[in-house]
Amino acid sequence: MAQTALGLLQGTVDVLILRTLSWTSMHGYGIARWISDRSDGALAVEDAALYQALHRLERKGFVDSEWGTSDTGHRAKYYTLTPAGRRQLKSEVAELRQYMGVLFRVLDTA
Amino acid sequence: MTRTPDPGREFRFAWRSKRQVARDIDAELAFHLARRVEELIARGLPADEARREAASRFGNLEFTREYCRAEDDRRERETRHTTMIDELKQDLFYALRALRSAPGFAPVALLTLALGIGANTAIFSVVRGVLLSPLPFPEPDRVVRVWHTNQSENDLKSQVSEPDFKEWAAATKRFSSLSAYWYSSGGSGADLTGIGMPERIQGAYFTPTFFETLRPRAQIGRTIRPEEAIEGNDHYVVLSDGFWKRRLAGDRNVVGRALTINGIPYTVVGVMEPGFTYPADRIDFWMPLSNMGPDAIGRERGSRFLDVIGRLAPGATIQQAHDELASLSRLTAEREPAARGWTDVTMLPVHDALVGDVRRPLIVLLGAVGFVLLITCVNIAALLLARATARQRELAVRSALGAGRGRIIRQLVTESLVLALIGGALGVALAVAGVRVLGTVGAGDLPRATEIRIDGVVLLYALGVSTLAGLIFGLLPAIRATSRNLQSVLRAGSRGSVGNAGQGLRAALVVAEVALAVVLVVGAGLATKSFGRLLDVDPGFKANNVLAVRLGIAYERYGEERVRGYYQALLDRIAAVPGVQAVGSAKDFPLRGAGELRPLTVPGSARGDAEKSVRLAVLHVSADYFRAMGIPLREGRTFTTADREDAPPVWIVNEAFAKRYFPNESPVGKVVRMGPVAIQIIGVVGDFRQKSLTEPAEPYAYIHYPQNMRSGMSIAVRTAGDPLRYANAVREAIWSVDRDQTITNVETLSAIVGDNVARPRLLATLLVLFGVMGLTLGVLGIYGVLAYAVSQRRQEIGVRVALGATPRAVLRLVIGQGMLLAGIGVTAGIAGALLLTRVMATVLYDVRTTDPATFATVVVVLLGAALVASWLPARRALRIDPVQALRYD
Repeated sequence: MAQTALGLLQGTVDVLILRTLSWTSMHGYGIARWISDRSDGALAVEDAALYQALHRLERKGFVDSEWGTSDTGHRAKYYTLTPAGRRQLKSEVAELRQYMGVLFRVLDTA
Repeated sequence: MTRTPDPGREFRFAWRSKRQVARDIDAELAFHLARRVEELIARGLPADEARREAASRFGNLEFTREYCRAEDDRRERETRHTTMIDELKQDLFYALRALRSAPGFAPVALLTLALGIGANTAIFSVVRGVLLSPLPFPEPDRVVRVWHTNQSENDLKSQVSEPDFKEWAAATKRFSSLSAYWYSSGGSGADLTGIGMPERIQGAYFTPTFFETLRPRAQIGRTIRPEEAIEGNDHYVVLSDGFWKRRLAGDRNVVGRALTINGIPYTVVGVMEPGFTYPADRIDFWMPLSNMGPDAIGRERGSRFLDVIGRLAPGATIQQAHDELASLSRLTAEREPAARGWTDVTMLPVHDALVGDVRRPLIVLLGAVGFVLLITCVNIAALLLARATARQRELAVRSALGAGRGRIIRQLVTESLVLALIGGALGVALAVAGVRVLGTVGAGDLPRATEIRIDGVVLLYALGVSTLAGLIFGLLPAIRATSRNLQSVLRAGSRGSVGNAGQGLRAALVVAEVALAVVLVVGAGLATKSFGRLLDVDPGFKANNVLAVRLGIAYERYGEERVRGYYQALLDRIAAVPGVQAVGSAKDFPLRGAGELRPLTVPGSARGDAEKSVRLAVLHVSADYFRAMGIPLREGRTFTTADREDAPPVWIVNEAFAKRYFPNESPVGKVVRMGPVAIQIIGVVGDFRQKSLTEPAEPYAYIHYPQNMRSGMSIAVRTAGDPLRYANAVREAIWSVDRDQTITNVETLSAIVGDNVARPRLLATLLVLFGVMGLTLGVLGIYGVLAYAVSQRRQEIGVRVALGATPRAVLRLVIGQGMLLAGIGVTAGIAGALLLTRVMATVLYDVRTTDPATFATVVVVLLGAALVASWLPARRALRIDPVQALRYD
């Protein structure tokens, strides 16, 4: 159900990732866990979509990546929000908020 | 979710390969799956079920892998581009700043580069226009020029008689089209009347298939068809672009218009394209040969006046074509007495025939400018080396800040390229001016001079040459400057021994520079000496103060009876002009025409030689011609008015004739035969050079014009002072006899002689110019290296002086170093010159390419210049105050 809703809101994966990285840099698995934990499992982003989004965001210059060592001692790829990514997050959140506002206004009056 | 930075990966390489990208993605996804499996096991799932669950939760793994790879690859490409563009921008910025901050260096380097690249561009534009650009008709390499050859008389490139040509054209299988034309510079003209000033215009008279052989395009109308070139239907003319613009103001409706030429209307059929001027740059029209009546030019086998061209049949080679015409010639020679000896032909591709004479001089010039540019490059490389030494701290800082060696070399080479390209742009500007000068100077002397221009190809060449030059002089110092451990420079402080390392390389560059200069100067010396020899040639006539007027009498206007009277009246009227001392006329001026060739039978000599048949050059002259030209009479008498057409035919011969055919006896009073006519020799005149200044006089016989009338008049007017001051009076005198008489040309005899040496003069002038440039650069090079060495060795010299070294010893130290460099350079240069000047052999007159005097002079000049260049830094070394020098830093 949650996944269907997410599929409808194309592009929200990107916002979620940017939002997640706005706290600290993380590897892909960490991002997946973080999103799932914060939404109490309601927003279980499909892993394939997550990685595709990460690489797409990196190409667009919104995130940067570098290799590091994880807390379990393995090599992992860490993603960091770039200044451009931070700006993108802000404008997308604002856009989403406005969109949702309009959506709910319509739903409530109906 | 904290992390410890991985020290090995912290400083990631800017660019990843495709393989690297794929590996990174695999590792990233594997990490993810491993963690998910761990998590599921921790929740109590069995291992294999956890793996299945992890895979299913992930979704489409393969697609994601491909997707991520594509994204990453694209990103790598984009960063690579932006990095390169950023770095290039940076380099250009540094380059311009570096050039601006080098006020002494940049202008000198730019000036020498502009000269070097300009000279190269200008000469290349000439080479391209004259030698490289194709002739303006299809498949020009299939078109050949054909000459008749008489091996026994050593006449290899003779024109062809009309009967011979007709036989060839009828029989040939190897040519798809064979044609002939009559053109003679200044000779094959016609009178244009009816529009504006009457004028003698220059044309070629062709056989019907001429335009089929060459197949050029007309820009307006069309060319003349074979059926329009047959007697009875041949009053057609095709015009050159030059004539059309000059006389008809580029009238686009010219086709169908009638022009009055030699008093007869000719219909204009077309106007050729600007590039088509075959067979000569200065041509006004083409018309069918059938318009020249048989009276004007003899059509018998002995009258060789046609130039033959042919287009090879498909598949035929020039050798096959040669064999075919040669065997036809042999058959004719056996059958016809008048063709005896004419058993061979000579053939050349038409392009070679047109420009063959200038190919070698142009190649010599191209080589010379190449040398000038090389010297320029070496010179700038030496300057850059010195600068690199001074800039080592800057480079060291840059290196310390993380710039790699490749990056620094790239930056230095960018600087050099910027320098070279700016120099190249200035050079092109110089070349534009230079080409204009060359075009003017070369017009009429250089074949295809109209083709010389600066176009896209020439600009591309200039760009290529500039880039190459930039790489040549930039790469070596850049590699050199970065080869040392730059970090040590920072520690070494502001001075130290850094400079001396580059000094050896600079010395080598100076040696190279001097060697190149020697080759150039030797070439210039040889050309100058050759030119001097040409000027020293005694032509056998006195060229000063002679006005030279050329005109053609319109035969049909006067008819056979009155034409002699008219001819004499012209001479008499000119002679009456005040200040005119003597007037004479001949069919051809010296160096402008060779007269005619005639079969002649010479009687057996007193020594018992048998009677023999020869071909002899004859020239038709008026009685006073020799006096007007300043040619001495050696024996016998000159012509008088009594030697008329109805008087017994008489000849005057030159000394070469006397020596060849009447050795050890006087020819005066002897009788020779031309066909059935017996001719008595009445006098001998001094030899003079008729064909060219470089060829000694051949045997000549002179015919008094009334006894064998010719319509072409070359009138020599000896005057009391500057002959050009008499030009108007002489013209008026001519027009006082006939208002409508056209005058082909008025100039001075000195100018004719000057034209004959124009090409060697141009070659010598340009080579001297390039030689001086090379010499100056070489001397500057020596000076630069020594001045720098002295400034570097201040302390050492100071110590020497303090320890009691005499000024003499200091001088010897510095000058000795300079002369050593010069000596090695000169030796290498002489060896190179001995090897390279051999290509000049065919362009030199009376000078061998190994001329010892020239080589000796060059050695003295070069060493002298080196001495001066060493003297100045040596004097500075003398002024070094030991106390100050030792204290200095």
